[in-house]
Amino acid sequence: MWLAGLFACFGLLAADSVAPLPKYTPAERRHWAFQKRAHPEVPVVAGAANPVDAFVYAGLKKAGLHPSPAASRARLVRRLSFDLTGLPPTPAEVAAFTADKSPDAYQKLVERLLASPRYGERWGQHWLDIVRFAETDGFEYDTHRRDAWRYRDYVIRAFNNDKPYDRFLMEQLAGDEIAPAEDETLIASGFNRLGPLRKNAGNQEVASSRNEVLTEMTNIVGSALLGVTLGCARCHDHKFDPFRQSDYYRMQAYFAAVHDKDVPKATAEEQSAWKARSDLIDEELKRIRAVMKDAPNAEKPALEKKLAEVEERKPEPLPALFSVSDDPARRSPVHLLARGDYQNKGDRVGMRPPGVLLPDGAAEAAPDAPTPRANLARWVTDPENPLTARVMVNRIWHYHFGRGIVATPNDFGRMGERPSHPELLDWLANEFVASGFSVKHIHRLILASNTYRQSSGAGDAAAIEKDPDNRLLWHFNRRRLDAEEIRDAMLAASGKLNLAAGGPSVIVPIEKELVDALYKPSQWAVTPDPAEHNRRSVYLIAKRNLRLPSMEVFDAPDLLVSCPRRESSTHAPQALELLNGALANQQAAALAERLEREAHSARQRVELAYRLATGRAPTSAELRLALNFLRQQAKLQQFALAIFNLNAFLYVD
Amino acid sequence: MPEHARITRNRREFLCDACCGFGGLAFASMLAQEELRAAAVHPLAPKPPHMPDKAKAKSVIFLFMAGGPSHIETFDPKPLLNQLSGQKRPAEFGEAKYQFIAGDAKLLGTKRTFRKYGRSGIDVSDLLPRTAQCIDDIAVIRSCYGDMVVHSAAQYQLFTGRVIPGFPSMGAWVIYGLGSESESLPAYVVMPDPKGALEAGQPMYTNGFLPAVYQPTMFRPGGKPVLNLDLPHGVSVNDRRQTLNLIRGLNQATLQPGDTELAARLNAYDLAFKMQTEAPAVFDLASEPAETRELYGIGKEPTNDYGRRCLLARRLVEKGVRFTCVVSGGGPGNMQWDAHEDIEENHLRMAAQTDQPIAALLTDLKRRGLLDSTLVLWGGEFGRSPESQGATGRDHHNLGFTMWMAGGGIKGGQVVGATDAIGLRAVDNPVHLRDIHTTVLRQLGLDQDALSYLHQGRKERLTEIQGKVIDQIV
Repeated sequence: MWLAGLFACFGLLAADSVAPLPKYTPAERRHWAFQKRAHPEVPVVAGAANPVDAFVYAGLKKAGLHPSPAASRARLVRRLSFDLTGLPPTPAEVAAFTADKSPDAYQKLVERLLASPRYGERWGQHWLDIVRFAETDGFEYDTHRRDAWRYRDYVIRAFNNDKPYDRFLMEQLAGDEIAPAEDETLIASGFNRLGPLRKNAGNQEVASSRNEVLTEMTNIVGSALLGVTLGCARCHDHKFDPFRQSDYYRMQAYFAAVHDKDVPKATAEEQSAWKARSDLIDEELKRIRAVMKDAPNAEKPALEKKLAEVEERKPEPLPALFSVSDDPARRSPVHLLARGDYQNKGDRVGMRPPGVLLPDGAAEAAPDAPTPRANLARWVTDPENPLTARVMVNRIWHYHFGRGIVATPNDFGRMGERPSHPELLDWLANEFVASGFSVKHIHRLILASNTYRQSSGAGDAAAIEKDPDNRLLWHFNRRRLDAEEIRDAMLAASGKLNLAAGGPSVIVPIEKELVDALYKPSQWAVTPDPAEHNRRSVYLIAKRNLRLPSMEVFDAPDLLVSCPRRESSTHAPQALELLNGALANQQAAALAERLEREAHSARQRVELAYRLATGRAPTSAELRLALNFLRQQAKLQQFALAIFNLNAFLYVD
Repeated sequence: MPEHARITRNRREFLCDACCGFGGLAFASMLAQEELRAAAVHPLAPKPPHMPDKAKAKSVIFLFMAGGPSHIETFDPKPLLNQLSGQKRPAEFGEAKYQFIAGDAKLLGTKRTFRKYGRSGIDVSDLLPRTAQCIDDIAVIRSCYGDMVVHSAAQYQLFTGRVIPGFPSMGAWVIYGLGSESESLPAYVVMPDPKGALEAGQPMYTNGFLPAVYQPTMFRPGGKPVLNLDLPHGVSVNDRRQTLNLIRGLNQATLQPGDTELAARLNAYDLAFKMQTEAPAVFDLASEPAETRELYGIGKEPTNDYGRRCLLARRLVEKGVRFTCVVSGGGPGNMQWDAHEDIEENHLRMAAQTDQPIAALLTDLKRRGLLDSTLVLWGGEFGRSPESQGATGRDHHNLGFTMWMAGGGIKGGQVVGATDAIGLRAVDNPVHLRDIHTTVLRQLGLDQDALSYLHQGRKERLTEIQGKVIDQIV
């Protein structure tokens, strides 16, 4: 064993030997997240509205803490609206909920929001963060993946339809294997090719880029679906968790035959017409390149410019499904790779999930076993899998409360945080499985709790002392809106939001200098119809090498690695964006027009602005300040701009 | 949580700002609070280095020669290569893998001539006669190497320590470690070449998984480099002041005492206003004496553009900007140092654009007493092949190439390491890109291990695994 390790280290092992199955110590197997879920008894605690409260209140009681009183109705409707749809409630919605005295008013509100098509747009975005969805390759060419938007729409549909989560994962991991003739499943399996992709000219190291592709496919299963940092075991046995390097490559073996596949949606005639146009341009490019070879240096810049212009005229690719398929003829043999180096091959491996999650000595499947990813998906979604359900209910909890029961949603390993409420986590995961993996069922359980409905006021000094991070949930966590919510909420308040759903992504205008510094002009071809520019943020193009500065500044993720949790930083460029940025100023102008149109006195305008942007009426102090400003300045647009700069707008509590 | 978050260097100074800043907030209660909370309100407040006794540099200017300048044509004379020109590489030099050229390529001698400069007598080619005049301040590192031979991956490694995108750039790490000395300017600035994009794109400069407060500010060409710094059309400074007063008033109306998160937002508005009123003066190069502008080659071609950006870099350093990257090269390969077709034509042109401005920057920093506290780093993502590509070009080459450092406590007038006799491979004292990072951090007083951020279960660092300090020059 020791010798084998030493040899593997130097890449000396004969490449055709088979890696032995590793063993795990009892201590390694004992880590909480690898244990079967418990079936904890629901504690009996006074004041609990449901089992969620019972578990949370039991924790509070033990620490000598108390839950906070319920938030006001106006706050609740705004909280729920952003939480479930990523949009503010309209003033009418706030009024209706505050006026609804029926005992099930809150429940009806939850149901209405869960049924809204906006719900999938919001929760779909969370999933897109987790799977690092983007519509370009990244690296040198950042090539546009013209049909990647179909995957985004698939995700939104799945959340809206409450597609059972086990089915959702099966379709993404293996849609092309289980139903190769269905558009929906083919699109879903595009999941396997969402990672950045390096394409190089010249002496392409095909084996090297292939290795990177396989790495992307393997790692995302660890971080996104299983919540473990499996990727750490690529170069060596995991330093903290019981994942051996052989575990890593046995997981990778499930993907060894996967190759990108664009399934054409255009007719044969369209395809041949497209080819004819494209061939013409290719010939022209060839001609220019030939001329360039012998041209004097002085003429080269002009020719280069010409070349670029002609390249710009290449026709957009025809519609296709962004998918994958297994190609046994091109299956990459999977070996252990010393230090992750594709040239440093060790033992061969077959397919097997991480051994610490299996009985000792569980056999691996042959490298060429059929429907490999469907097999993997069956293991991932097995109701007994200790990780999958826990990881997903924890994510749901995280998005509702701003912090997961496990505060590191992508890492349930030893370096991750321990769960603050382990029994609650298991209880929710059991509910999730028992409900047929219904995400909406988990929402309902959480949202019905008093814990979710309590106020965010954190004024209790003694409680702050005991639990400053609010791990035990003695109050609700206020949060800053994320980048997409800020933009969408501005558009909603100004009345400009275009709620059209789905379809190819929108490219909004940005500073020309920024595009020039990062792209060829054709890489940022602004969508012609300006009404499209006001679509929800989830429908804006997600490019890897150029992200919208207005979103980036508010911690939009980089689309390169899985993002399980948005940062929420505060700094001066955010203020500059909201004061001087084009988006804020355009929407302030639109909001000012709307205020002028819909309200007829300064006082009414201030009130309407507050209702649209903050979901409440202004306090008397706020009203006084605002009226004073409008009297002096008479510049409604500056007032509207100020509204977008208010904490009351940017935070939800 | 940033595990490395530390208190502001001067808490009293910070609290004074917080109390007396624009609008004046009653922050008295904060005096009693944890000092860490101050850092939460002002995340870019200066932080003490991990190793104050070793900290020599306060700022870094990275002169990034995009595309990969040839060591053979600049700082690494190879007489044997000229003798072997036109022949295949002798077997004793070993193998190399290039992006484009194959095994049948022939060695290519250089047309450049080298001369010894300064008291130190270091060889510099006739491409860089002005930089050569500063050679006694420069430590020439001839034995650099990296792991990647294609632009994007090599650029990621040069900037982030990793060959894939998604990791924080060194500028982001540095301001995460040290905060900023300047309130009216961004802490970390990138000045791209206006000629166009680079292969690795934005991800090579960005904060990766670090919070957005550590992101770079990308300067645009022209007199107004910072996005969103100008008031919108039709808004006067007075209008803006009134709007800011309104925002402050309305935000304060609901602010609870001790609410550091929202206090941080108020502080951000103060800083934004400061930037808006003070930064434009820094960008105004017309205020520099004619002599200085001439020194940098401003107002004439081909040095005007790079000269302006170098002078701006000096002005930023003067105001406390922590990390500035001035990029030479952008757009199609031949508009970078990426001389695949004709090393002569390309390098003569690129050197002519940058030599005078770079020499001016070193001279100007020195005469203002800023060079001691400003580390200047020069180099590309790799060097160029001893073999020719086509008849007159050179391919990418990562096994041995030159970078240099000056200022910031670096002992100049020295050569570090060596490549073999044809410039193929770093053979003597090889310096990996991560050793460059380690050395830069150490001159700033930052410890490569302590400068870490817990991300997805892993303590991430710029240097990933331990890099070595280049002892000879520190």
